[in-house]
Amino acid sequence: MQKGDHELLLTSTITWLLLLALTLVTYAAAQLGVEGKWLILGVLAIALIKGKLIIDRFMGLRWVGSFWRPMLDLYLFTVGGLIATAFLLP
Amino acid sequence: MGESDSPVLSQQKATLSMTVPDSNRTSCAITTDYPPGDVAIWIFILAELSVFALLFVVYAFTRHYNLELFDLHQQQLDSRSGLINTLTLITSSYFVVRAVAAIQYGNARLCSRWLWGAIALGLLFLLVKGVEYQHHFSLGIGLSTNLFYTFYISLTFFHFMHVIMGMVILTVVALKAGRGGYCATEHTGVETAASYWHMVDLVWLILFPLVYVMR
Amino acid sequence: MQYQSQMVAKPYFIAAIGLFVAQILFGLIMGLQYVMGDFLFPEIPFNVARMVHTNLLIVWLLFGFMGASYYLVPEESETELHSPKLALALFWIFLVAGALTIVGYLAVPYATLAKITGNDLLPTMGREFLEQPTITKIGIVIVALGFLFNIAMTVLKGRKTTVNLVLLIGLTGLAVLFLFSFYNPDNLVLDKMFWWWVVHLWVEGVWELILGSILAFVLIKTTGVDREVIEKWLYVIIAMTLITGIIGTGHHYYWIGTPEYWQLLGSVFSAMEPIPFFMMTVFAFNMINRRRREHPNKVAVLWAMGTAVMAFLGAGVWGFIHTLSPVNFYTHGSQITAAHGHMAFYGAYVMIVLTIISYAMPMMRGRAAANSNKSQVMEMWSFWLMTVSMVFITLFLTAAGILQVYLQRMGGDAALSFMVAQEKIALFYWLREGAGVVFLIGLIVYIASFFVGGKERAETA
Ligand code: HEM
Ligand code: HEM
Ligand SMILES: [Fe+2]
Repeated sequence: MQKGDHELLLTSTITWLLLLALTLVTYAAAQLGVEGKWLILGVLAIALIKGKLIIDRFMGLRWVGSFWRPMLDLYLFTVGGLIATAFLLP
Repeated sequence: MGESDSPVLSQQKATLSMTVPDSNRTSCAITTDYPPGDVAIWIFILAELSVFALLFVVYAFTRHYNLELFDLHQQQLDSRSGLINTLTLITSSYFVVRAVAAIQYGNARLCSRWLWGAIALGLLFLLVKGVEYQHHFSLGIGLSTNLFYTFYISLTFFHFMHVIMGMVILTVVALKAGRGGYCATEHTGVETAASYWHMVDLVWLILFPLVYVMR
Repeated sequence: MQYQSQMVAKPYFIAAIGLFVAQILFGLIMGLQYVMGDFLFPEIPFNVARMVHTNLLIVWLLFGFMGASYYLVPEESETELHSPKLALALFWIFLVAGALTIVGYLAVPYATLAKITGNDLLPTMGREFLEQPTITKIGIVIVALGFLFNIAMTVLKGRKTTVNLVLLIGLTGLAVLFLFSFYNPDNLVLDKMFWWWVVHLWVEGVWELILGSILAFVLIKTTGVDREVIEKWLYVIIAMTLITGIIGTGHHYYWIGTPEYWQLLGSVFSAMEPIPFFMMTVFAFNMINRRRREHPNKVAVLWAMGTAVMAFLGAGVWGFIHTLSPVNFYTHGSQITAAHGHMAFYGAYVMIVLTIISYAMPMMRGRAAANSNKSQVMEMWSFWLMTVSMVFITLFLTAAGILQVYLQRMGGDAALSFMVAQEKIALFYWLREGAGVVFLIGLIVYIASFFVGGKERAETA
């Protein structure tokens, strides 16, 4: 057994709770009638943060140096950027 | 033997070494060049993510040119099922994380239990989504209803198929884990299945706000 | 060669090459008719030549796939073929039926052929690639069933490998999808829709599985890379093929009366179809870079690399350029389609059959693992002649296609009529014919390479 394993479990549990909380925030924002640009940007930002959490903590790419993590980060960045562009176009 | 510095190729070299049990793999807290699981699944994940990315982006731009239509019909979606399904998938993903942790301790039975839990949650996802589809279809809504529903159904159904696919993979691995087919030093299969399942989750985490919430 | 029964592949390969020559001759006839409208009229009208050209292509590729299967399945299964006699019988049935059909096309008008062969009873004729008389189609089904039976029995009794499994799925899919050629609804929309289930789901679905497994087999044999690594790749490639290719059928459903949502589904999913072809390219080169031995059959490795590259170019790149519905709106059914059709068929399926022939033939002819250097060098010449001339055919047709679309479809009120536009691009048709002649020369060199250097040996065996 490795020294860091307990911490590992703890971080993944915290990550899980964080993901649940962020999801509820997204949902609440919509229910509370936040609209327009702020909703769009806020919700998108939250989605990307959640994505990053999944990639780093759940998929375990946090420890992966070259290629794969940058690749998935680039993915989030590109998809997020293009979606934001489309939503913010006048 | 021709050497190459391209990252894809060097990753591929990793595949070769990973077919041999590698005792270093249990220590996770150091930086490595290899993602968890089989490199082949990562190539697949990247390819699949690209398909979804294209769908998302085309959705976003099409929406831009059909704002009223999209806004109107988006409101008719049941965002509560969307919420439930998001929580379900996240939790299911978490279970899979626990399953991987369990097998890293060498606890195969615990691992398979977490996996079955994750599969059950996958089933719940399918059920909720199924009820939603049932509702749409009973109203006579289909792919041809309008552009919004074309996107909504295509996107969610393509994802739906991935949930099924992920569950099949998890089931295979859970069965093997139950039979004691993995141990602390050799459990690439569990990690492979886990990575794929997280991808299914990841995609939904973008899909849900995009289709249900953002307007 | 490890099993005596693998020898039945030989007549299949020889027939394939023979029909290949005939196919190219008819291509050249048509190429000339494009610029000299009355060439060989009335003996061989364009529509007949076209039918012969495309049907010969399909039939010789099928001969090639069957030969490949008879060769590699016993070796993979590590057992003799279930029944070499059946394989040989089916060979003759298929060859005679194919030859009779071609003779029928050439000897009598198509309508007469339809009448003689009783098309009224079960009408299936008259659709591109599926022009065969109904009895020929039934013959094809019988041959396919016997073939599948033979292969499946061999697979079942022997070692199970991924290569065999994927090949068997591909071959079964090929046979099953062909059954849709018997479905000929009156409704033209449905007719076209299911026609693509044969045509598209063949070349962008199940045939890709066949392609992948043959390529994997040759790479396993020539590179010595671990089977597990190659099999993993194969799985990823076929999964991606099916995910993108099945819904990708929608790129043929833009303008035929099928629902509008196909504009979206067809565009998005088919736009991703190049991915598996790209993976195949990376895969082949990667394996060859990591090879653990220098296989003496260098030209087979060259064909394998060529397949990986040309399939990606022809199917992936040339497919992509006209697959999005806003583009296809202009390019549909133009020379751009023909450019793509040529390079994709050549790059993917012609080349994979030539790859396995190149790998297997020396052994079946008792020349150890490879032909002599002299013969290999000659075959390499033929590789380059055919491949480069096919690139030029594609480029000329693409140029012709772009001009055609521009002159005929984009000019608004000033747009030219079809025939006037054709006249303006005749230069490119001449160039295409020239490249076609070079292709034929390449093919002749290819055949000649079988007859040189028989006495000398390759350096290592
Ligand atoms: C080896 C694989 C392939 C082969 C052998 C092949 C062959 C062909 C042929 C022969 C046609 C003409 C069919 C006809 O109308 O008679 C065709 C049409 C077409 N192919 Fe492919 N193809 C392949 C892969 C692809 C891929 C991967 C794509 C997309 C990325 C693609 C996109 C298209 C499109 C859009 C058309 C319709 C063109 C039109 O509207 O006229 N093909 N293909
Ligand atoms: C291995 C080589 C070849 C392959 C795989 C091949 C394949 C094909 C295919 C799939 C078609 C149908 C295309 C479509 O429906 O759009 C076709 C048509 C045709 N091919 Fe080939 N072909 C080959 C060689 C040649 C050569 C060497 C020539 C002549 C120089 C030629 C001339 C033609 C012509 C004129 C057509 C008719 C196009 C039309 O309908 O407008 N082909 N060929
Ligand atoms: Fe197609």
